[in-house]
Amino acid sequence: MKNKFINPFVKIAAFSFLIAGLTGGCKKFIEVEPVSQFSIPQVFSDVTNATTAVIGVYDELMGDNNYGIRINLYYPYDSDEMIVTGGIDGGRRDIGRYRLQLSNGELTNPFNALYRGIEKANLCIEQIPLMPQYTTGTAAEQKELKRLHGEVLTIRAQLYFELIRNWGDVPAPMIPAYRQTELFIPRSDRDSTYDKLLADLLKAEDLVPWRTEVARNERVTKGAVKALRAKMAMFRGGYSLRGRKGALGTMERRADYLTYYQMAKQECADLIANRAQHTLNPNYESIFKTYIAQGTYDPSYEVIFEAGAGGGNSNSDSRMGQYSGPSVNASSRYGSGGGGIQSLPNLFYAYDSADKRRDVSVTYYQVNANNTKQPRRLGELTDGKYRRDWKVPLQPAGLNLGFNWVFIRFSDVLLMFAEADNEISGGPTALAKQYYEEVRTRAFGGNASLIGTTPTDKVGFFNAIVDERLREFAGEGVRKFDLLRWNLLGTKIAAARARIQAITTATTSYPDSVWYKQVGEDIQFYAGANTALTAVPFYRPTNRPNPTTGWTGIQWRRHLTSNSAIDGLPLYNGFASFFTPGKSELFPFSQATLDAYQGKLEQNPGY
Amino acid sequence: MSKLLLSLTFFFLIPLSMIAQNKTITGKVVDESGSPVAGASVLARGSKKGVQTNKDGNFSITVTGSGNTELIISSVGFVTKMVTGNGNEPLSVQLVKEVVTQDDVVVVGYATTKRKDLTGSISSVSAKQLKDIPLTSAAEALQGKLAGVQVTASDGAPGADIVIRVRGGGSITQDNSPLYIVDGVQVDNALSVIAPQDIASYDVLKDASTTAIYGARGANGVVIITTKSGRSGRTIVSYNGSFGWRELPETQKVLNSYDFVRWQYERTRANSTDSSSFAQTYGTTWDTLNNYKNVPAINWQEEVFGRKATYRNHNVSMSGGNQATTFNLSLSASREDGLLLESGFDRKIANFRFDHKLNDKARVGFTVRYLDQAVRGAGTTNSGTRTTNRLRHSIQYRPFEVKNAPPADQFDEAYYQASNQIQNPVILTMAEYRRQETRAVYLTGYASYNLMKNLVFRTTLGYDNTGIRQELFYSKITPTARNASSLPTASIGEQRNQTISNSNTLQYNVNNFKKHHTFSVLIGEEIVQRDAKSNFTETRYFPADISPKNALANMGLGAAPTGATQPRPSSSVNPPYRLFSLFGRISYAYDDKFLVTLNDRMDRSSKFKYENGALNFMSGSAAWRFTKHKFMEKLGWLSDGKIRFGYGAVGNDRIGDLLYQQLYGVTGEYALNHNILPGFAPVALANEDLEWERNVTRNLGLDLSFLRGRINLSIDVYKNSAKNLLLQTPIPPTSGYTFQTRNLGATSNKGIEFQLGAEVIQKKNFTWTSNFNMGFNKNKIENLGGPTQITKSAGWQGTDGADDYLVRVGDPVGQMYGFVTDGFYQINEFDYNATTATYTLKAGVPTNISLYGAPQPGQIKYKDLNGDGVITVDGDRQVIGNANPKFSGGWNNQFVYKGFDASVFVNFVYGNDIYNANKIEWTDGAFTNLNMLNIMKDRFTYINDQGVRVTDPTQLAALNANAKIWTPIRTQRYYAHSWAIEDGSYLRINNLTVGYTIPKNIVTRAKISSFRVYATVNNLATLTSYSGYDPDVTTRRSDPLTPGVDFAGYPRARTWVFGVNVTF
Repeated sequence: MKNKFINPFVKIAAFSFLIAGLTGGCKKFIEVEPVSQFSIPQVFSDVTNATTAVIGVYDELMGDNNYGIRINLYYPYDSDEMIVTGGIDGGRRDIGRYRLQLSNGELTNPFNALYRGIEKANLCIEQIPLMPQYTTGTAAEQKELKRLHGEVLTIRAQLYFELIRNWGDVPAPMIPAYRQTELFIPRSDRDSTYDKLLADLLKAEDLVPWRTEVARNERVTKGAVKALRAKMAMFRGGYSLRGRKGALGTMERRADYLTYYQMAKQECADLIANRAQHTLNPNYESIFKTYIAQGTYDPSYEVIFEAGAGGGNSNSDSRMGQYSGPSVNASSRYGSGGGGIQSLPNLFYAYDSADKRRDVSVTYYQVNANNTKQPRRLGELTDGKYRRDWKVPLQPAGLNLGFNWVFIRFSDVLLMFAEADNEISGGPTALAKQYYEEVRTRAFGGNASLIGTTPTDKVGFFNAIVDERLREFAGEGVRKFDLLRWNLLGTKIAAARARIQAITTATTSYPDSVWYKQVGEDIQFYAGANTALTAVPFYRPTNRPNPTTGWTGIQWRRHLTSNSAIDGLPLYNGFASFFTPGKSELFPFSQATLDAYQGKLEQNPGY
Repeated sequence: MSKLLLSLTFFFLIPLSMIAQNKTITGKVVDESGSPVAGASVLARGSKKGVQTNKDGNFSITVTGSGNTELIISSVGFVTKMVTGNGNEPLSVQLVKEVVTQDDVVVVGYATTKRKDLTGSISSVSAKQLKDIPLTSAAEALQGKLAGVQVTASDGAPGADIVIRVRGGGSITQDNSPLYIVDGVQVDNALSVIAPQDIASYDVLKDASTTAIYGARGANGVVIITTKSGRSGRTIVSYNGSFGWRELPETQKVLNSYDFVRWQYERTRANSTDSSSFAQTYGTTWDTLNNYKNVPAINWQEEVFGRKATYRNHNVSMSGGNQATTFNLSLSASREDGLLLESGFDRKIANFRFDHKLNDKARVGFTVRYLDQAVRGAGTTNSGTRTTNRLRHSIQYRPFEVKNAPPADQFDEAYYQASNQIQNPVILTMAEYRRQETRAVYLTGYASYNLMKNLVFRTTLGYDNTGIRQELFYSKITPTARNASSLPTASIGEQRNQTISNSNTLQYNVNNFKKHHTFSVLIGEEIVQRDAKSNFTETRYFPADISPKNALANMGLGAAPTGATQPRPSSSVNPPYRLFSLFGRISYAYDDKFLVTLNDRMDRSSKFKYENGALNFMSGSAAWRFTKHKFMEKLGWLSDGKIRFGYGAVGNDRIGDLLYQQLYGVTGEYALNHNILPGFAPVALANEDLEWERNVTRNLGLDLSFLRGRINLSIDVYKNSAKNLLLQTPIPPTSGYTFQTRNLGATSNKGIEFQLGAEVIQKKNFTWTSNFNMGFNKNKIENLGGPTQITKSAGWQGTDGADDYLVRVGDPVGQMYGFVTDGFYQINEFDYNATTATYTLKAGVPTNISLYGAPQPGQIKYKDLNGDGVITVDGDRQVIGNANPKFSGGWNNQFVYKGFDASVFVNFVYGNDIYNANKIEWTDGAFTNLNMLNIMKDRFTYINDQGVRVTDPTQLAALNANAKIWTPIRTQRYYAHSWAIEDGSYLRINNLTVGYTIPKNIVTRAKISSFRVYATVNNLATLTSYSGYDPDVTTRRSDPLTPGVDFAGYPRARTWVFGVNVTF
């Protein structure tokens, strides 16, 4: 009898205990640990893990939203050297034509990717120095962690550099987002951001080794830090667009700019004094054809700073050669490629006929389905440093060829020295001239007799530098930004328009048509008395074979008379057609960015 | 001991009863139609003695005492009857069918309730309504059957996802699918793992007053599925078998051979390379093109989708038991081919349900369910852009063979290159192999024990384990393989999900306390844990001609060429998701007149930081049965009337794990020396403050039952407001992240629902049952947590377009955003320069140069909404469509005439728009050698009947006097514009079934108790103005913000089915 009554209550009590027990253990039950993911202390626990975190920062250099196609092949055009092909389209062509819609997706994704890289770098910059091994580890650990620290400082500087030269004053968080109390970070003055980054790079110089001290790969070494610091100092000392939303802005340069030229000159001098680390390769073409296209290493290490590509995907590989370079038929043995970037006729004729850089920078052929080359007309030239038909081994399939992107070459260091020195000294010193001539001599295959006379006055030397940089770096994403820092973009676009028109009517200088025949897969041009296979007729006004049997003629100069090359306009008017001084020097912040800022971000002038 | 006692009792009772003058009462129990009722329980009043009727309905019961004895006759589905017998002559008892909709029992929140006592809003479908529809998908069976429950198929593919939304769904970016409770235990994704034949009923709980007891998991509604259980009595074996086929109701009309060539001729005139390529392929002179008038067109849609795809379905079930134990074993196997070649769906389900009464106090039961399913074929769509979707090949591939090209059954590389990657759709279908296998085990069990009178302890346990394996193979001709040196690629993805749940409840019931008060108290506790892990391996560069099976069985066989690398394998293990809950409920009824239920539930989720993880939800509902009052009882026609009101709040935690911690994942990669290295990358920006999303619902309902329950009407009005939405909020991208999950934003859904059920005719030989439902819902975004609007891209156009959905405060989710189509540019809007034969747009006419280049006569034109003279993406787009229907519903009619039965089910949706992205893609002229929809035959053209390009304005105007549509857009830009937004309203004869049950007297000779044959057609006819394949479509389902897109969807079939239902 007793049991019958007690039993249920015992059971209820037991049940209540069960619940109470679960509630008590609830915190333990509810708080779960990540399995596939890692907490910040786990990531920064040792050198290996920290290295993986730094690889994650490098990640934001390469891929379709970074220096795989968008930033390096879309943003630097249209300039007075090269332009994007095709008619305006609301996308990449609108960037080239300076007709930017705030909804243009080509602006949003790279912008976001650059900041994603900065956030990743901020996390590393915060955490790596906090690792016990950074200060109390073995010598090897300390050395390696310091290297990692220096590398992320450098990558962050590069990412900010890209943002500032395209968008001007940008928000510049230097600590990770999870530490921020306010995510609506206002725009920072670009001068102060540059100063911070220049100081970071100075610090990084002491943290990273020279390239000869470590195994060769694409990681940042001391040369890269110094070269980037020099380049950034030139921009800090150059012109850029300033102004407020609504009105057009003005191109301004700070009064203390020579301080930064001095800084650049010093960094360049340090590099030039260490030729065992980096120097000029005597063969200009080999930098791209042998080393970039084959993925091998240049013994002279002319490429000081580059972004690595590989893996055949849109995240870690590049589209150079597939988007840029000569147009290659998809059915050829090389695979589909090229045609995205057009070289302007004035660039072609900016080269002396003996300048070996022309046929590297500019391509005047396309590759047909049967692998034969076919000449192109003067208004259809393409760029040439990254070409699919140079890829070794052949890679006929896919969008990605594994071409690294070159940020800075040694010739840039030489020319930056010369430019800075000319400005500081009020004219070129002997060293400035020497370095300028060194670049030119290499361009003529080492034949110094062909390089002409170097100007000795400040203005003349500056102009020579302006032209030389065009020829030396054509198609390397350098020109537009050089022109911006010199405040010459509008001027040079106008000059290029005039020059193309002049070429159109230059009946006594350039041929109306050129004649060629197929020799194997290659082209032989008819070049009058010069019967060499490699002879070119482009500087001979009359070159018609007689009889023409066996030769095929194509329009050359005459092709430029086309009235509707771009968007219904002739070529000389069609490129950069919406360029507006005081506005087009900077990109706008995209609508998505403005929306996310809920009205708390001021737009760039003119937009 | 007890056995011995029992035997002794028998031993003594038998002689005793003999002494006490036993009598035997016999009789027969029949239903209204005179058919015997087997297994009915016959109980002598006052004694505990009971027997059951045999298969002929006969019973014989021995009772003590002389004179009249009252017998209680009861059987499921019939009104219990009391009869008096004295044993002198056999009784004849006729049972009256219970009007099911009123006295049905519903499992609501861990306990059963009579439907008539419900205080919340519930929609239900019974087995009776389901039985006629031989579907393989339990989800499809729900479409149109329930007010306020919107069932949308993503497309017509076998095994396609079906999206179910209860009252619109509150969350903007989180999963809005409801919670599924099968026989009292949560089962994920239940509708795809249960055979429709095993389902006894569906009940959908729609407002928080009923869902709140389920807590967070019930925030988007609760679908309660009751499976068939055994009945005590004779073991019943039944077989349901059906076979049939599917067919494509209609194809999209495309240009015929001549029109195709004529368009190619026109398309290639502008470019010398193109025109020489045209001449090489199709002929050099205009006159030769006339030959194509005699070339019959190959209908690629017929080639690819035109087959009669067979369908077979078998279901064998055995159920039975005695008074202590019941069981139901059901085996289902179905094999169906999809319309698309190579596609199909095989499924086998075994379901065993067992219930056992240990003694008067204890009951146990369990269900074992095993699923083995394979979905074959790559289908037509995936989440990618145009290039990775397949339907276009069936529309745009050249409709005939040409002389210089490989025959139509071979891969034509040159054509592939010349047409921007269009492939022979038949070959492409064969070239992509996909197989998804799912194997799952579901175990559920319960035990209940009456601790004391009216106090029941119940525990349930659920365990399920699902393994999904997806195999993909791309042969060398596919775009995927082309990115890997044109060598085959294969991948295997495996996923394993496991859920464990346990609930324990104590329920105390008091019935008719002091004659008036009935109340029950429930308290309980529940835990749920879910684990998921997956791994993925992809191998590229297989030998060129390897078969899919060989490749997938030898994933190590691919060898990367120099300079290339194999993708790294990946795996992921989620942290366990855990939920701990305590809950309680008090229900009180006064005299059946007033009913009140109060719930309280505390949920604690591992998705949030411990301090923010708990949420207490209170809810309550009340009902007043006004017909129980004396003054109302005079209204004979109104047999029951009830007003209900419910208010409640529930939470939602369906977000990623551990978003409150700053974590790294291995998602980065970078190449050093051209070799990929893995890199750490932050997963998301942590938000420590994350907490529960809250959804408050208010529901006012009216239930009326007329003419003794023959007509039932329910009306519900509701307003749901969700706040603290767990929203992927755009944050300044300068933080390094574009989104952060935050508790921001609010939405509301309000609406009204009607359900009407009627036994329209109830004659002995003829019955007509009709069920009608209709729901209106209005969704509104109240707050986006800062930004007033967000644009979203449906994504089909890749980067060659602009965002085409707008999410804006004050508007519903699903607003389509784009240009307003304004016909095409007219010749008189241009200045003509006769010297250069060029047209220049007159000043003042808006130009769309920024979209497609300088306009020419005949080019598509959009409205200049901001009046600045230039059509731009930034300035000239507006909301052009709304994916939300104004109302939707269904009407089901069932007829029985003697042995014949028939049912017609019609469902309808009204007032929604469909974004027909297919139409934009298939009328585009960006590339040569693509076919187009036939509507483009009436395009604006520059080519006259002599094949000459006309530029003169007068001649051009004459040539285009009857032009109905613009010349195809020649640039690769796929903008949404209002022409592609179509009315998605439809009325569909969803199902028509005719059946015949062979009379009992014939079949009983073959020892068969019932035998029915039937014929069914699903998707018989659809009344719609929609021009695409089918208006029931939403193909971009990975993002809930872009509903209603018809892009590359698998066309929906019409299904013919013939079947039998046999019960032995």
